[in-house]
Amino acid sequence: MALKIKVSKIGLLDMLKFANLAKDREKVIEAAPAKEITADFPINNFAKAQHPDYQKFVIDEIIDHAAAGAKTFVLKRADGKPASFFRAGQYISLKLHIGDSYVSRPYSISSSPKWALEGKVAVTVKTNPSGFAADWMLSNFKVGDEVIGSEGLGSFYYEQYRDAKHVVALAGGSGITPFLSMAYAIRDGIEDFDLTILFGSRNEESILFRDEFDKIMAATDKVRVVHVLSDEEKEGYEHGFITADLIKKYAGKDPYSVLICGPEAMYRFVAKEVDKLGLEKKFVRQELLGATKKVWEQPGYPQAAKDKVFKLTVKQGPNETVCDCSANEPILVAVERAGIKAPSKCRSGECGWCRSRVISGDVFIPEETDGRRWADKQCGEIHPCASFATSDLTIVVPGEYY
Amino acid sequence: MAAKYDIVVVGAGNAGISAAVSCAVRGKKVLLIDQHNLPGGCASSFVRGRFEFDPSVHEIADFGPEDNKGSVRKMLERNGVNVDWITIPDCYRCIATYSDGTPMDVTMPCGKDAYIDAMEKYVPGSRKPMEEFFELTDEINAALAYMMDGTPNDSKYMQKHFPNVLRTCGYNALKVLKAMKMPTKAIEILSVYWPYLGMPLDQINFLHFAVMIYLYVVRQAVIPHHTSHEISMAFMNRFYELGGEAWFNCRAEEFLFDGDRICGVRTSLGDVECEQVLANINPDIIYAKMMPKELVPEREKKLSAARNKNYSTKFCLVYMALNKPIEEIGIKDYCIFFQGSADSRREYENMKSIDNDYNILISYNTMIPDFSPEGTSVISFTKLFSKSQDWEKLTPEEYYKVKDKMIAKCIDDVQKRLGIDLTPYIEEVEVATPMTFARYLGTPDGTPYGYELSDWDGMMARMMEMDKDFPIKGLRHIGAASFRGDGYSSTWLNGDMCAALACRDLEEGGNK
Repeated sequence: MALKIKVSKIGLLDMLKFANLAKDREKVIEAAPAKEITADFPINNFAKAQHPDYQKFVIDEIIDHAAAGAKTFVLKRADGKPASFFRAGQYISLKLHIGDSYVSRPYSISSSPKWALEGKVAVTVKTNPSGFAADWMLSNFKVGDEVIGSEGLGSFYYEQYRDAKHVVALAGGSGITPFLSMAYAIRDGIEDFDLTILFGSRNEESILFRDEFDKIMAATDKVRVVHVLSDEEKEGYEHGFITADLIKKYAGKDPYSVLICGPEAMYRFVAKEVDKLGLEKKFVRQELLGATKKVWEQPGYPQAAKDKVFKLTVKQGPNETVCDCSANEPILVAVERAGIKAPSKCRSGECGWCRSRVISGDVFIPEETDGRRWADKQCGEIHPCASFATSDLTIVVPGEYY
Repeated sequence: MAAKYDIVVVGAGNAGISAAVSCAVRGKKVLLIDQHNLPGGCASSFVRGRFEFDPSVHEIADFGPEDNKGSVRKMLERNGVNVDWITIPDCYRCIATYSDGTPMDVTMPCGKDAYIDAMEKYVPGSRKPMEEFFELTDEINAALAYMMDGTPNDSKYMQKHFPNVLRTCGYNALKVLKAMKMPTKAIEILSVYWPYLGMPLDQINFLHFAVMIYLYVVRQAVIPHHTSHEISMAFMNRFYELGGEAWFNCRAEEFLFDGDRICGVRTSLGDVECEQVLANINPDIIYAKMMPKELVPEREKKLSAARNKNYSTKFCLVYMALNKPIEEIGIKDYCIFFQGSADSRREYENMKSIDNDYNILISYNTMIPDFSPEGTSVISFTKLFSKSQDWEKLTPEEYYKVKDKMIAKCIDDVQKRLGIDLTPYIEEVEVATPMTFARYLGTPDGTPYGYELSDWDGMMARMMEMDKDFPIKGLRHIGAASFRGDGYSSTWLNGDMCAALACRDLEEGGNK
């Protein structure tokens, strides 16, 4: 290579400097003391406290809401430290060991973020006779029991630069819990927005957290609760379901955001009503729905797979487990039933924590809960909490730290 | 019995995935592990609502066009990694204040001639030194190619063919540019990319700086069509195709030794045996927490002490999804640097404060119309913090308030600098802080950049001492804290190169 590059003379800069780069570096290193190396970083410690592998709690108190068929479990950090701080509206993923299964369940936190500083969070569990975990918790949890949980998770919270200053919350039954936390946060000065809650209950007797909300409303005028009773007509209450007209009645003239949390049936009804309001998408948010219940009713589902039981091979690190997998349930359920500690958090296809790789076999993924990344969709990565086997299947699941 | 591999790669960030593929291409049995549930480290993506966001990519250097392929492109092609790349036509727009107090608003195109022309337009009289600068970058490239071709370097040959490289490479960029009689304003326009190396012009090695400018201006930058996760998955697919195994959510707890030689890794999913480890972990963490203290080499203790926790830039990014097309919002440029001063030293000093004015706006849809659903757009803001201790003082309650403050600052910047109000359009907004980076990367104080590439510890000096750093047998250090420094391109190339060395040792029974 015959280079003839001519750059103007570069003053006094000399050629030896290059050869000396290594020597000079070595001199600096040589001159330093051979101290023991440490690695303790404040920002990493902060991150670890806010996002630990898991939090170990003990049940500090159990509050029975008998008429609503629910209990509130007050959890206290077992190590006496503050619990991870969270944003009012977020959920916590409880890790439960039921029989031979390791399962997770997401529950909205119902307590004030302020409590977290004292090491406490509360969740409210409502009876669900057809489910696996809720009734088990309601009948087995006692004060003093240890419970493993995550940090606060999810994006169901008020964000001042996205949401309108006035939030109209639409809640059904135990779907009230994230809004109770928001109301506490407003009372405690942690959040600052106006919250109007349209709260659907069956009857007066089954209203959850009646007293708590009354006390909050006495302490701040930023929170207002309107009770909507579906099965009872009574003075001082709205009657029926949460409709577009009812929302308009309480929303007022200024822009507002709508936040929805409730059981699936309530959500499907309310979503149609909210559509009628013609709000921008950014002003309507819903809490996670959970996995699709009747997957075979989804468009595009291969009907031949329905009710079948497939062979599922699960690889996790060096281990391999073979188990049955019902076509009708999310793959995650089969993994949990096989006694594998696999990661999961939202159980709604959204958070991606259970992200796993399909090595062979076919799956069906309902579009409404397909929260995968673009490249994952191309590459055979699935979220087992929202994916269903339609053939024998081999998957690789990540490890879990608890 | 423990699982057995030729090579275990710890940390599936950019250097790790690149190293893993490179080893697998050479037919090695490779295990890749990462403490998070995704590959890529910073090169990833996340989903909020109907949007997918890229956590970190701005512009990827050293890819190059078909007729001037850069090292990154050659490496990807050699290793069979295919990505849908988009080429970026402009380097950057920068809105700032020159050090003489006059306002700066420049848009610099890619391509040597176009760049020089634009510079002459903004700074009359800059053409000659600019042409000389690019001539020098050609010489630097030739010199680097000569030095890194794997054969011994002949100093006489180098003096004959690369005299200007030898004259300049011992100095910082500012000193050389001044010696070249580059007008101050031209230096300030030329220096806009400095944060990508983390060090201001008076502290970054000239050669390193000049190479970076060459790569961006002459070879042009690229970005992935579907976020950086697309790139990481392209690496992973190739890795799986070659029989590689990856364990995610799997933490390397400690390195296992047979005498003074590494022989395995204790992980949260069990022990694994191996011949070689490529560790994408900051050396301070390895030595302090992951191996027996008595095996930590004396020189490494001195090196660590000399570096004195000199960790590089911390970042805060604000991601926004807007419910309006980018052209209707009125943003035309892919990449806009908002600086206070155009003087890199002054900006570096300002970055010690959490309230600094530095910000980089990336508007993906200007280059990729279908980056987000129709009728919407996605933008991100990058704020930098050098040596800042403000973040570590925050309490958990203050933390969320600071996140909101960062969003407010970004909205304010766009309002002030571009006269555009973003507030009516924000459908999703998310903030990644140094804590977020620390959480997902595990790097010291969350820096994705390793140690500062300053003075004595610059890239050139590190590369010249490659054989001296990290002397533990069977263990190589890859990633931003390794010799090539930070950035997507540098860390991919670093991983690829270290993989080649590890495979060579494995085959030839080399000294490591």
